[in-house]
Amino acid sequence: MSIEVRGLNKNFGDFVALDDVDVTIPTGQLTALLGPSGGGKSTLLRIIAGLEKADTGSVSIEGVEATHLPAQKRNVGFVFQHYAVFKHMTVAKNVAFGLEIRKRPKDEIEHRVRELLELVHLSQFAHRLPSQLSGGQRQRMALARALAVEPSVLLLDEPFGALDAKVRKELRDWLRRLHDDVHVTTVFVTHDQEEALEVADEIVVINEGRVEQVGTPDQLYDEPANDFVMSFLGEVTHLGGLALRPHDIELESSPSLAGSVEGTISRLVRIGFEVRLTVLTVDGEEVSVVVTRAHARAQRLEEGRTVWLTPAPGAAVVPRMAAAV
Amino acid sequence: MIWFSALVLIPLMAVVVTAVEGGWDVFWATITNGQTSAAIRLTVLTALGVTAVNVVMGPLIAWVLVRDRFWGKSVLEVMIDIPFALPTIVAGLVLLSLYGNDSPVGVDIANERPAVFLAFLFVTLPFVVRMVQPVLEELDRDVEEAAASLGASRITTFRRIILPSLAPAIAAGAALSFARGVSEYGSLVLLSGNLPFKTEVTSVRILSSIENDNVPAAAAVATVLLAISLAVIVLLDLIQRRVAARG
Ligand SMILES: Nc1ncnc2c1ncn2[C@@H]1O[C@H](COP(=O)(O)OP(=O)(O)O)[C@@H](O)[C@H]1O
Ligand SMILES: [Mg+2]
Repeated sequence: MSIEVRGLNKNFGDFVALDDVDVTIPTGQLTALLGPSGGGKSTLLRIIAGLEKADTGSVSIEGVEATHLPAQKRNVGFVFQHYAVFKHMTVAKNVAFGLEIRKRPKDEIEHRVRELLELVHLSQFAHRLPSQLSGGQRQRMALARALAVEPSVLLLDEPFGALDAKVRKELRDWLRRLHDDVHVTTVFVTHDQEEALEVADEIVVINEGRVEQVGTPDQLYDEPANDFVMSFLGEVTHLGGLALRPHDIELESSPSLAGSVEGTISRLVRIGFEVRLTVLTVDGEEVSVVVTRAHARAQRLEEGRTVWLTPAPGAAVVPRMAAAV
Repeated sequence: MIWFSALVLIPLMAVVVTAVEGGWDVFWATITNGQTSAAIRLTVLTALGVTAVNVVMGPLIAWVLVRDRFWGKSVLEVMIDIPFALPTIVAGLVLLSLYGNDSPVGVDIANERPAVFLAFLFVTLPFVVRMVQPVLEELDRDVEEAAASLGASRITTFRRIILPSLAPAIAAGAALSFARGVSEYGSLVLLSGNLPFKTEVTSVRILSSIENDNVPAAAAVATVLLAISLAVIVLLDLIQRRVAARG
């Protein structure tokens, strides 16, 4: 296992940023730390990198006990949200920095920098200053700079957070492909569930300083450990004491299924290929349901109709909790 | 541009013209006069020395002010500006009572060359500090952390990442402090004693020329100072560019 975090605690004053966190990050994979803003993701990542000190707990990287190693000695690549470029150095110099620190021979550095710039598609910008690059290009440069020293793990803190939606999407796909080529153990922080579900092999959900669940995107989506994970990964509604996804509710125009709940359609909106309904049940619950357009047409759904609702077979459901959304 | 010319260039030209009116020989004779050249040498060398001290101490003080937290920091903040706020003749009095003949701290440098150095240092201290401080405050902590995670020691990070960013501000502060040193009068006249060949500086020399109705001589000294100052500013800019481009 590449990164082992045990019993990590971190307070800022009397604010608890991390509360007894245990995480194991598998070697060679792309892992996402996912959670709402302020949940402690960056703090965890920075402690792994040695940029922040934990109050208690231990970190080991590739089997090496790293808890008391300074950042310089951890051989970790770190990519920051706002790029952290060395603005007085050219792109090539930025990338070469870590190798120059390690006093590698000049021709080796040159060769490696050329290789890396090719990898991140910045070869023609080698002699520019970072200020002459776009945000996406700067972040690719920062990535090449971090990869130059062949880190044992690569850590990215909301790497695409400062970019506009289109570039963000491009870079996200590109990171996935890059990882398939390079295979360095990678951990990236994001608060965007779509980004995590799309890119990561494994997701660690973090909220209020605690790990809520660890699993593959499918596991998290299909078997959320609790209401929080469920609602963070997608839309959630509640039906008869259960939390579940609006598209996982079966809707019938007659009470043919056992345990179905009766209700009236109070609102109906068509959005593209789907139809979103709000159903007011006889128990006084407002339930969101999503059905396909074809289904809505076949059943001639309209506002005011009485319908019966049941959780679809195999639907991801969790018991509704006090803190339900 | 016209404003710039009217405010800066025309008076400067006037000085130069006055200086050479009497012809090259007179100009040369004036500035190579033993007493005058001794004053020029003393002023320029002391100003250079003080500037060198400021170039080292200024960023250090700025660093402490920006990065460290300690008791009495706000007092220090205010104290840095005292030399700016104080009329120079008052500064001169303060220095005289501190380091004069009946010095309460037992340091008597009245009528000695260190008096000139001390006076220059006192009035120029804030320049580099105040130029560097805002730049240091704006520096991105991420960048230092990025350097650290790439394996750079704190010293290497300072030399290769922080210093190049500070270089323009240090150079600008150094230029100001040199120019101020060369032109200083009020803070040193009392303590230095203005002894010819020993502690007499150019500003005092210029004043006595004017008092003796020898305007061309005063202008000649001024022209030399002007040339030296220009050279120093150009030199500082060249050094700064080299440091800033180093990486
Ligand atoms: N250096 C710090 N000093 C004080 N509070 C901090 C510091 N760093 C982070 N915090 C607080 O810790 C909490 C977790 O922060 P962070 O790890 O950055 O969350 P995330 O990355 O998940 O958004 C936040 O409430 C933040 O305000
Ligand atoms: Mg964060």
